[in-house]
Amino acid sequence: MAAIETNGLTKRYGSETALESLDLDVAEGEVFGFLGPNGAGKTTTIDLLLDFIRPTEGSATVLGYDAHEEPGEVRERVGILPDGFDLWERSSGYSHLEFAIESKGNGEDPDELLDRVGLDRADAERNVGGYSKGMLQRLAMAIALVGDPEVLILDEPSSGLDPHGIRQMQEIVLEEARSGTTVFFSSHILGQVSSVCDRIGILDDGELVTVDSIEGLRETAGIGSRLLLDVDEPAAVNAAALQDLDGVTDLSFENDSLQVNYATDAAKARIIHRVVESETAVRDFETEEATLEDLFDAFTETDAEAVKEARRVADGDGTASDSETPPADDTADSGDPTVKTGDPAIVEDGGGR
Amino acid sequence: MTWQTVARKDFEDVIRSWMLWAILGVFALMMGVVAIGADTNDTAQSGSALVYDLFNTLGGELLIPLAALIVTYMAITGERESGSLRILFGLSHGRRSVFLGKLCSRLATMLFATVVLLSITAGVILYIFGSIDLGLFVQFAGLTLLFSATFVGIALGISAMTGSRTRALGGVIGVYVLFMVIWDTLVAILFRITQGHFPGLEAPTWYFLLQRLNPLTAYREALILLTDNYIWAMIGSSILEDLSAEEATPEALMLTNRVSGDLPFYLTEWASVAVLLAWAIVPLAIGYWRFEGADLN
Repeated sequence: MAAIETNGLTKRYGSETALESLDLDVAEGEVFGFLGPNGAGKTTTIDLLLDFIRPTEGSATVLGYDAHEEPGEVRERVGILPDGFDLWERSSGYSHLEFAIESKGNGEDPDELLDRVGLDRADAERNVGGYSKGMLQRLAMAIALVGDPEVLILDEPSSGLDPHGIRQMQEIVLEEARSGTTVFFSSHILGQVSSVCDRIGILDDGELVTVDSIEGLRETAGIGSRLLLDVDEPAAVNAAALQDLDGVTDLSFENDSLQVNYATDAAKARIIHRVVESETAVRDFETEEATLEDLFDAFTETDAEAVKEARRVADGDGTASDSETPPADDTADSGDPTVKTGDPAIVEDGGGR
Repeated sequence: MTWQTVARKDFEDVIRSWMLWAILGVFALMMGVVAIGADTNDTAQSGSALVYDLFNTLGGELLIPLAALIVTYMAITGERESGSLRILFGLSHGRRSVFLGKLCSRLATMLFATVVLLSITAGVILYIFGSIDLGLFVQFAGLTLLFSATFVGIALGISAMTGSRTRALGGVIGVYVLFMVIWDTLVAILFRITQGHFPGLEAPTWYFLLQRLNPLTAYREALILLTDNYIWAMIGSSILEDLSAEEATPEALMLTNRVSGDLPFYLTEWASVAVLLAWAIVPLAIGYWRFEGADLN
């Protein structure tokens, strides 16, 4: 049974579409990263799962229970850390936890919860009106953990946390995952989900762009890593032969350095081997790993670019040259619905890994 | 059911509100001033009706409605606006639990405050007169508690319907101004339109019925009937009524003297009770219905 499943889940406000036909399948015990810029529809999705808002079309189930028809069953099994909330400022941290434990707890010890989220016991005695954003976030995380929920929904859990707090939060996610809890983790910062999530779904402008593992995303996007070679005589390098190597996506010269983009790690050794064997001497080389931000841009912006391109063509002035920033690869493939971006050859390459 | 948990939690929060205690303090102070400054001539003339008259102005027209509206209007709106409603949902409390819990907690708060006001009033009566008509006081207390609950119902209904503080505040202020200032004017204008002149001292019963549908008037008229003593409204209908200063005596303004024959049932004190109940329940029902169907973001 899926922990979270949505079928054609759509939410519109008048003519504005917040979420368009979302099909999502999160397995039990999975840590699922839900990524997208602010306003992409992440919170809308979470609100729909809790019956906080009602779908315009489609449906969602949590642990097999319909989110709209059986919201009580869902809420009993789900812990949530919402994005952007205030707590009851005239109550102390302790009384918040006591209320949470009374509401759905299994007789937990508030002190243990405080320790887990790294909130000071002395602070928990104070009214939360004087808490910092980070302290509120920790307290809300503790509240979300009450009752040992089967599904933990975290909406931008790291907001307001310092790096140490973020690490603690990620540790909690991993601990929960080890104990079998499904974690649905929404964020607009890729670095924070990559280290904990099994799979990542990218949401942009209300639409799910893709779902894959980090490695899979990287391959599909065709923005692998980059090898920078400092050579004596760039002209002596046989560029065409390098370009033909498996896994090489792009190649360019800049001053004395040769820059080769590749999608698979195996290509790296082949490139170096080929250059070393050529007429020129290699003075130095370094690799640059693609950042997750690159990856994210490739998925969200390329898509936007493809849409723009399609509009341009439809408008009849199909001059591709006025495109300001070329997308990760080119827009020629955007017609193929299965491959959103990238060179088909790379996708084939990546498929073997 | 989880609404009890919500109610208890909410009550603990509300009872710590300084505003509630400030209102109670103001009332105690004013009543104290009255008790100490009570003129023996006046008290001998009108008896304890004087205190009930004062209670209507101070408690019935000002403090109780305003306190109930202010204590309650943010009950649900506030949770929605701040996002803590999502936390409540995450703690397995659904819409019904939140609505019921909030209703019970705010009702309990206002009934508690009203009991304090009533106790002070009883104390003042005992201080001035040395004795109290218990039968009358119990009826007065029951009516006042219902009156208090009515305004909690109106305010919670508004709170459940609105998603932002500004709208909820606008709603409760609008309701208060409507009852306090606009209602009687509208009824008088309606009378003018249909009858061609403003109402005089004697008027058809439907005119008084329309006035009675205003909960402030319902409370005041019921109190007049109970104490058998006319009580002036702070902003009364008499402004638009065609009355000369000589004929508008308190005695003449008693409803029993403005309607020919016996009072019809819909102008008795029981009609007031029905009006107050309706004002408590109808906004609540609409509010719940809207809250149940609403997108809460």
